[in-house]
Amino acid sequence: MLAVDLAGDAVRAKNGAMVAYDGQMAFKKMTGGGEGLRGMVTRRLTGEQMAVMEVKGQGTCYFADRATEINLVRLQGEKLFVEASNLLCTDAALRTGTTFTGLRGASQGNGLFTTTVEGHGQAALTSDGPAVVLRVTREYPLQVDPGAYVAHTGQLKQHLQSGVNFRTFLGEGSGEAFQLRFEGEGLVYVQPSERTTVGGEV
Amino acid sequence: MTGPVIHDVHTLPANDNVHAYAFSVDLDGRWFLQKGKMIAYYGQIDFHGIGHGHLEGLIAGSFHSPLHAADWVVAEGRGKMLLADRSFDVNSYDLDEGNLTIRSGNLLAFQPSLSLKQSIIPGFLTLIGTGTFVAASNGPVVFVEPPIRVDPQALVGWADCPSPCHHYDHQYLRGFWGGLRAHTGIGGASGEEHQFEFTGAGTVLLQSTEQVLPERETGALPAEEGVPGGGVPAPESGSQLPQLPGGLGGLQRRFGL
Repeated sequence: MLAVDLAGDAVRAKNGAMVAYDGQMAFKKMTGGGEGLRGMVTRRLTGEQMAVMEVKGQGTCYFADRATEINLVRLQGEKLFVEASNLLCTDAALRTGTTFTGLRGASQGNGLFTTTVEGHGQAALTSDGPAVVLRVTREYPLQVDPGAYVAHTGQLKQHLQSGVNFRTFLGEGSGEAFQLRFEGEGLVYVQPSERTTVGGEV
Repeated sequence: MTGPVIHDVHTLPANDNVHAYAFSVDLDGRWFLQKGKMIAYYGQIDFHGIGHGHLEGLIAGSFHSPLHAADWVVAEGRGKMLLADRSFDVNSYDLDEGNLTIRSGNLLAFQPSLSLKQSIIPGFLTLIGTGTFVAASNGPVVFVEPPIRVDPQALVGWADCPSPCHHYDHQYLRGFWGGLRAHTGIGGASGEEHQFEFTGAGTVLLQSTEQVLPERETGALPAEEGVPGGGVPAPESGSQLPQLPGGLGGLQRRFGL
């Protein structure tokens, strides 16, 4: 559970994630993720839907989502890439948007687009089990199972790597046929659990 | 405020837990793992489905449940590999010239120095030899020593001791009224009448919930006479009391007829 202290300022949270609050709070549904008309159209087109509300007021507000683990990420100007379903709450000062991720999304079953969060402030991510934060450096690229990927920050290039060979088609697949390869400098958040993905079956 | 711990290839533990739900393997060679339990890795690692190919020798040496092989993968190469299973607790255990029998759904990965065999108890696998293996459990694992009776749902596995037998606690279900109660459920049952009983020297592994991890296919058994679950019925024993039709035979026995 995430407790947010508010003193007249605002946070954006996943719609319906509030479980309790004390003090004075106003909850306002933000159409199109609070990204204006352009954001709304983009989200509609890309299918990276995100129902967001703005919480404003005085006091403490508690957020939770299906008892999943919550991880706080502090952003100082960098860009966080996260799946909309894993984003619980952001500071109002953070800008959210949508970006194209390419083939990766297809293997994850999460669509071809992902959500970005930019600016200065904190964001809360949900994960199934506490996330492991892994550093990627130039010498040590990282491979992640698409079903376990939650988010990443930094200057990372990602591409889909496939280990599909003729044996996959003989029914002797390794179950690890697709991986995301991250190269560059940055951090990757991985959850200790796998979503059911198309790629996980081969 | 301190941020989360950031791991890189050097700070990840070698063959130890990252946290309660993820395990880091320092791979230099080969490991067996269940399909789909790898969440991330650094380095050069290839994943091979188990079948014929250049791993044939390895599989012949440490893999003994042929039809169950499709659920297993060999990781080969060098690097650090993270394993996790649906955010259940994971733990590693070392076997030293020992044997351990574990519920098939709980076993995550093991070193090829161990050999994996089907247990004669359906739904369980046995590991024999020296090496490390990783197992998942619903909640932390508790180690206890026999003699002990355990709840079937809480049992994860056992090491070095003889296989368990069923134990029924029917002390309070004796006599005619007890029989009636046991058969009809009138008067209620505690739900704890049935246990597994362990005796002898060894260790029993229990998980701290009664929620069983989904079972994995352990492979078909050879259809031979004398193999439990092999599908060949044992020869009929001698004459018995004539049984009442329907399910009443059980009733007869319950009332001591």
